[in-house]
Amino acid sequence: MPPQQHTILCVDDEPVGLHVRRMLLERAGYRVFTALDGPSGLEVFARESITAVVLDFSMPGMTGGEVACSMRAVKPDVPILMLSAYTSLPPEVYNFVDLSMTKGEGAPALLKKLGSLLNGDASH
Amino acid sequence: MNSSNFDQILRQVFFVPLLAVLLGAAALAWQMNQAYRTVAHIEAADETITRTETLEALVINQETGLRGYQTTSDPQFLAPYNDAARQFPIQLDQLRAADSTPRYKAAVNDLQASHDAWEEGFAEPLIASIQAGAQTSDVDLNLLGKRQMDGIRQRIAALAVTARRQRDEYIRRWRGQVRLMLFALVGFAVAIGLVIGLYTRRQLQEVSGAFRQSHNILRIRAEQAFRSEQKLRTTLQSIGDGVVTCDAESRIETMNDVAQQLTGWTAAEARNRPLKEVFQVIGRTTRQPAEDPVSQVQRLNRVVNFADPTILLRKDGTEIFIDDSGSPIRDKQGKLIGVVLVFRDITMAIKSQEALLANEKLAVAGRLAATISHEIHNPLDSVSNLLFLMDGQSSPEETAQFLVLARQEIARVTQISRAMLSLYREAKSPVAIDLKEMLDSILLLMDRRFAALGVTIVSELPEGLVVHGFPAELRQVFTNLLTNAAEASGAKFSVSSSPDAPTTGSFTVQPEAVVRLTAKPCPAGIDAAGLRREAGVIVSIQDRGHGIPDEILGELFKPFFTTKGERGTGLGLWVSRGIMTKHGGAIDLVSSTDPVHHGTAVSVFLAENPTINTAGD
Repeated sequence: MPPQQHTILCVDDEPVGLHVRRMLLERAGYRVFTALDGPSGLEVFARESITAVVLDFSMPGMTGGEVACSMRAVKPDVPILMLSAYTSLPPEVYNFVDLSMTKGEGAPALLKKLGSLLNGDASH
Repeated sequence: MNSSNFDQILRQVFFVPLLAVLLGAAALAWQMNQAYRTVAHIEAADETITRTETLEALVINQETGLRGYQTTSDPQFLAPYNDAARQFPIQLDQLRAADSTPRYKAAVNDLQASHDAWEEGFAEPLIASIQAGAQTSDVDLNLLGKRQMDGIRQRIAALAVTARRQRDEYIRRWRGQVRLMLFALVGFAVAIGLVIGLYTRRQLQEVSGAFRQSHNILRIRAEQAFRSEQKLRTTLQSIGDGVVTCDAESRIETMNDVAQQLTGWTAAEARNRPLKEVFQVIGRTTRQPAEDPVSQVQRLNRVVNFADPTILLRKDGTEIFIDDSGSPIRDKQGKLIGVVLVFRDITMAIKSQEALLANEKLAVAGRLAATISHEIHNPLDSVSNLLFLMDGQSSPEETAQFLVLARQEIARVTQISRAMLSLYREAKSPVAIDLKEMLDSILLLMDRRFAALGVTIVSELPEGLVVHGFPAELRQVFTNLLTNAAEASGAKFSVSSSPDAPTTGSFTVQPEAVVRLTAKPCPAGIDAAGLRREAGVIVSIQDRGHGIPDEILGELFKPFFTTKGERGTGLGLWVSRGIMTKHGGAIDLVSSTDPVHHGTAVSVFLAENPTINTAGD
């Protein structure tokens, strides 16, 4: 399936990181939506046809866990990749996400995990 | 029974028999007096009898003399008659004096009358007739004389009989009296003996009872005293503190087991030695010999407690930290007769305290770990993504833009890393600290934390505020205070275990979740408590949280007091105040739980050039 058909939603409160991640994913051929916090991310998620979500865990106000929970309630089939600056996340979070990775693992790791999610390899 | 009872019994035992014997003697004397009087009566009766005999002899002499003269007419024969006639009235008068009863007097008078009648009626006329030479042998005349004389004799005999009868009567009475006296004496002796015996026995029983009783009481008291002493001795041996008692001259009397272990001296070795020799203490920081508590107690004559720990030099030369106190022992007059010294080993406590301080330092960093990890991983992620992009097909313009972004992110990591390290790297001596720089770098470190809590920091930090101190310690203080303020005014914690890692539910961000951080110079002057204060800076941190209830305000600066449950160590404010004390500064807290104006304000005073006080460290 050509990557152009995939629409990725990136949610992160770090503007620089978000910007760079967007460029990276676009370069990889994805269509990308971005949001700087949970509520606006949910809004985009409900409005647009999103095929996968790349979600930052640590965000003020609404955490990635809460955002994932809400997304699952709306569209349970959309795969979610959780990014985190921590090595370990609260265990409940894994119920709402398909894969997780630590920030700083590098772009190839991100693209590989996202690819595997979209090919349905890691679908729950 | 008290001593006055006892004295009374002694007096009674002496006076009662004496009184009884005196009474007996008086009765006896009265009886004897009666007997003497009876004897006098007997003697009087005897005399009367003798006089009657004399009178009889006299009348015989008169009659015999008269007969001789009648026969011989010789006047020589009249001599006995005349003698008797002269003595008779004398004897008669004496006889009359012996008794005064009328009957007796009548009898005596009758005798006198009959005698007078004989003398005047017969004897004198007869003598006159003979002198005249007349014949006197007339029978009738002589018969008349004889009849008269017989009458006289009968009367005398009657008197004698009466006297004898009286005498017999008195003798009988005397015998009765003597017998009565004998019986009375025996009866009295028995009665007195019984009375004295019984009375004395009763009193002695009382005394003996009292003696037994007091002996019992003494025995019980002695037993109680022994038990009480044993109890105290065991208590003294069992307690965890070292206890040493000294006499008034500071010589050791007793040491309990703990005192022996702590000093390294046995009680036998230490006995009678001067305390200073066994209990050598030096100041914790000065390392100069400290005045021992006993000397202080003697000087001040009151209980002395030492707030600051001292070092005890043991017999083997090792050192332990101790906490000691001394109390005077006084006699009933309040005179000092000895001193009790109580001390305990607080080496472990001091080591624990040091460990706690180190632990709290780590805890502060631990609480920031999430922030730090986030602050480092985010820029790293961006940099690694940028590098990946630059590796691929990017235009030179793009590459230049990527480089700018990458440098920016690397600079951010460096800043965070510096700020973090400055929490640990401590200067050896106080250094000049730019407060704005320091507080800004703390805010940078905590930025993530504030964001997570939904708290906005409003800071007013003028340039050029410089104080002297230990930067890492001050950072610790402000990190603590800012964390408290942010947590108090920020999210509610009822559902989360950690602000950075919530499990369920959502944070309720308060719109007024603002923490104000201000710093302003404070010129030298007098503070609110009226104490002189040198020039410095006041840093104030205000939140609009719920405020701190009055009942726990006093507890805030105590170790292990926390309102944060398992998330807090309860050491933050305690350590902060210790650090402020060391810096010669002050930390004050004002809080209100008022529904409208709730919130807490903490103000920290730092002197520009403080005298660093390390004693409390």
